[in-house]
Formats: sequence, C-alpha cells, structure tokens
Amino acid sequence: MISIDQLAYRSGLRKVSAVEKTAYALMTLVICVAGRSLEAALMAFAANGFLVIRKGKVSLLRYGKMLLMPLVFLILGTGAVIVNISEIPLDAFAIRLGGWYLTGSRAGIWKGLELGTVAMSAVSSMYFLAVSTPVTDVLGVLRKIRVPSLFLELMLLIYRFIFVLLGTAEGIMTAQKCRMGNRDLRTGIRSFGMMGSALFIRSVKRAGALYDSMEARCYDGEIRVLSRERPVRKKEVLMIGAWEILLVFVTLWSIMR
Amino acid sequence: MKGYEMDQRQEWVVEAEDVCYTYEGNETPALNHFSLRIARGSRVAVMGGNGSGKSTFFLCLNGIRRPDRGRILIDGKPVSYTRKGLLDVRRKTGIVFQDPDDQLFSASVYEDMSFGVLNLGMDEAQARRAVEHTAEEIGLTALLDRPVHALSGGQKKLAAIADILVMGPEIMILDEPAASLDQMHTDLVRKVIAELSDKGITILTATHDMDYAYEWADMIVVMKDGEIMRKGTPKEVCTDRRLLEQAHLKPPVVLEMYEILKQKGVISGAEEPPGSMAELMERI
Repeated sequence: MISIDQLAYRSGLRKVSAVEKTAYALMTLVICVAGRSLEAALMAFAANGFLVIRKGKVSLLRYGKMLLMPLVFLILGTGAVIVNISEIPLDAFAIRLGGWYLTGSRAGIWKGLELGTVAMSAVSSMYFLAVSTPVTDVLGVLRKIRVPSLFLELMLLIYRFIFVLLGTAEGIMTAQKCRMGNRDLRTGIRSFGMMGSALFIRSVKRAGALYDSMEARCYDGEIRVLSRERPVRKKEVLMIGAWEILLVFVTLWSIMR
Repeated sequence: MKGYEMDQRQEWVVEAEDVCYTYEGNETPALNHFSLRIARGSRVAVMGGNGSGKSTFFLCLNGIRRPDRGRILIDGKPVSYTRKGLLDVRRKTGIVFQDPDDQLFSASVYEDMSFGVLNLGMDEAQARRAVEHTAEEIGLTALLDRPVHALSGGQKKLAAIADILVMGPEIMILDEPAASLDQMHTDLVRKVIAELSDKGITILTATHDMDYAYEWADMIVVMKDGEIMRKGTPKEVCTDRRLLEQAHLKPPVVLEMYEILKQKGVISGAEEPPGSMAELMERI
C-alpha cells in the first residue's frame, strides 16, 4: 500500500488535473463493466497500460507484479465459470473422472475469457487512478463534488494516521524482536497483543495532542483545507471524451454482432 | 534597543501574572505561581528538565490551557476565553509543537498549511497566496505537494514551522525545535528562527542546548517544577554556577573555554565574558 502511494506522488501524470484522471478512470470502468465487451475491455486494458507505463513512468515489472495480484483471484474465479462437473460431456473439453466429467462448453470458455478480461480492464482502470493520483488529490475531487465534509475529514485523518500508526507499530515490533518477542508462537501472540494495547494507548495520547495543536490553529469543529488546483486542460478533456465515446461504440458494436 | 531589559516605556508582548495550572488527576501543579514578562521582538530560551512546565506555559499562552489562577496578557490585553477572544490570541501566538506528527494532520504539506489560514477567515485566493508565499520564504516550495508521511523528520519540522508562520503570528513559540533533528536540519531550523526574529517576531523556544541558548537568546528562563528558578540575560544565567548545578544544566562551552583560558592567563579576566565562540576567538 505504501509503495502504491509513493508511485502516485511520483507519477508522471501527477500534474494532470485529478478531476480528469478520476473521470477517465470511472468512465472506463463503468463502460467496461456495464458493456461486458471483450474488445472494449482489451482496448481499455491496453490504454491503461500505456498510460501507467509510458505516461506515468511506472516500470513494466512493477505494473506487471501489481496486475498479478488480482490475476490469481480471477483465474480461480473464471475457472469456476469455465469448468463444470457433469454426467454429460460438453463440446469444448471433457476429462473423465469415474462416472463424471470435468467438462466445459465453448460458450462457457468465451464467457469466462470475457469475464476475466473485463475484470482485468476494470482493475487496470482503478490501478491507473491509484498510481497516478495520490489520495490527497482524490480527496480534492470528492470535495469538489460536495461529498459531506464528515466523510472527507474522516478519510483525511485516517489516511494520514495510517502511516503514523504503521510507523509506530513497526517501531514497537522491532523493539520486541530485539528482545526475542517472537521466539515461538506463544510469545509471538503475546507480543502482538501487547503491541496492540500499546498502539491504542499511544493513539489516544496522539489524538489529544493533535486536538491541542489543531485548537492552537483556531480549529472550530470543521476541517477546512485547500488542495492544490491543477487546471483542467481542454485538449485532455477532448481526448478523454473521444476515447470514451469510442469505447461505447466498440461496446455497442460487439453487443449487436 | 533589543532585548528584554528596556526602560519603563517598554512594551510587553507577553505577561504571565501569578499563573497556576494543575493537570486533571495530578496533585503537583504544572505551573506554580508563574510570572514572566517578555518584551516585543525578544528571543527567549526557556530551559529546564522534562516536566518542568515549559510546554504547559506555552499552551497557556495560546489559550489551550486556561490557568486555574492568575492571568495571561498578550499585547497588554488579558486573554479572554470566549470564541472571539481565543481566535484573537491564537492569531497572535503560534505554537510549533515538539512532535510534528502531532501537528501535521493533513495528507499534504500544502493542505496542512492552508488549514490555519482558512480558520483565520481568509478567502481561498488569499489563503493560496499566503501558503505559497510562506513556502517560498522558508524554502519549502518543492515539498508542498509531498504527502506528509513521505517527509524526513527535518522536513516535517520545517513544514510544522511553515504551518504556523503562514498565519502571521506576532509571537512564535517553538517547543524544542531541534529535538531529534540531524545537524543539517538543526542548522536550517535555527536559520529560519533567526530570520523570523530579524523580522521582529517575538520568539520563545524551549531548548536543552545551552550553547545555542547562550549565543542566540537575549533572555534565558530556567524553570523547575513549574516555577522560575532564574531569568536573565544569558551571561547572568550562565555565570551562575550554583544555579546551573541545581537545574542540572551544563554551562556553555564558550564560558568553560573562557574560564580555562583565563586561568592559563591567555586572556585577561577584566572584560565581560564573551557572548559567542566568535567573540572568544577574537580575544585570544
């Protein structure tokens, strides 16, 4: 998670308006998922790959590794769609297992492939957003579309303090390891519990200190912050628009075919 | 003339009169009949062990803690604990907390800096200008878009200072600004502090570094158990060996060198002790 966060703020697309990036990612996602078109999904997947690697300057290896994670789930999931257990063999393949067949139909394979591709393209759209737009910028977009401030404040604080908490937890765990807190499962569990309670106490203390420091800056119950504005560029908006329309057409074409 | 010792017409920017404060659930007071006056534009180093009441005093100045007894005056006016009164006090006095992680709550430096100015009621355009201007001023522009958790300790400290500076305080309080910083960032932070002081901002800083306090401050306040043990110019305080011993403070290296050189007859003891290493070098 931390590494994705780092990729996002070092991204070559960092300076592109977050509104554009969010709109692009969401529209592509919706078109792929709603249209279920293999062709459109492949196109979106390729486009996202191009944007992430060429424009965003994420290394191919890194992006590939990231894609592997959902791929494992997908293979298991689509496997269930493709492979049936039945007494009658289907048209694509059939493996005899006693009186039963491990079998699949051509339609089923197509369906599975389509599902897998659509899912991967949807994931790649989200990855595009995740590695090009830091959470802060996403928050800015949410603020713009008037998401209730309570949600935004919670997201802001949680995002910020996840890292503080992680850092503290890491420190405590290292300190425990140094004193052989993990020599066997028993001590390991005990150490983990102790870390949990220490983290809780520290969090409460930190919350108090944070409140003081916010008060010192005239906090009045509402967190108002400004995020950096990136101008929306006409050219990019037109390109995104044209691309999405193309995707819609490809989807329609593949449905009607 | 700069410094805390000025004539009767002197304008006090901070006055604490007989302030007492005890934390809930504690028996010993954190501040015990604490009185102090600070002149506008002065550089005050507050010294004392952990738990001597430095931080509590700072929080009182900002209206975060309300004294059980006594009162605090900022700019000659007693702090009023109404909403408006507190806003006024907090506009004038800014605290940079010791641990930047207690202060920087926003995801990016830019956002965090905008928090205070928006609370002061600036509109968006003004706030943006203020943030960018302040960042430029202390060399933070390149870090504005960084997430806070990706900053180093020293960068976080600078961001925390910028957070307060952007609000344009008259009095800036820094609670151990050099705590756990490397030498480079310590120097950087001190340079920023010196620049602020040159602009006429009154600076209070808690520090354990006697060498720094001796050369930088024009008043040193030594605290123990919520009381002031001694206050005075660095020379007054640091030449008081007994006091330093009682307060568990070490005399500054300059003065120790000076003593040795005096004993060895390298320099004459007729003059006043040197105010800085540079001054001592000159005399040799």
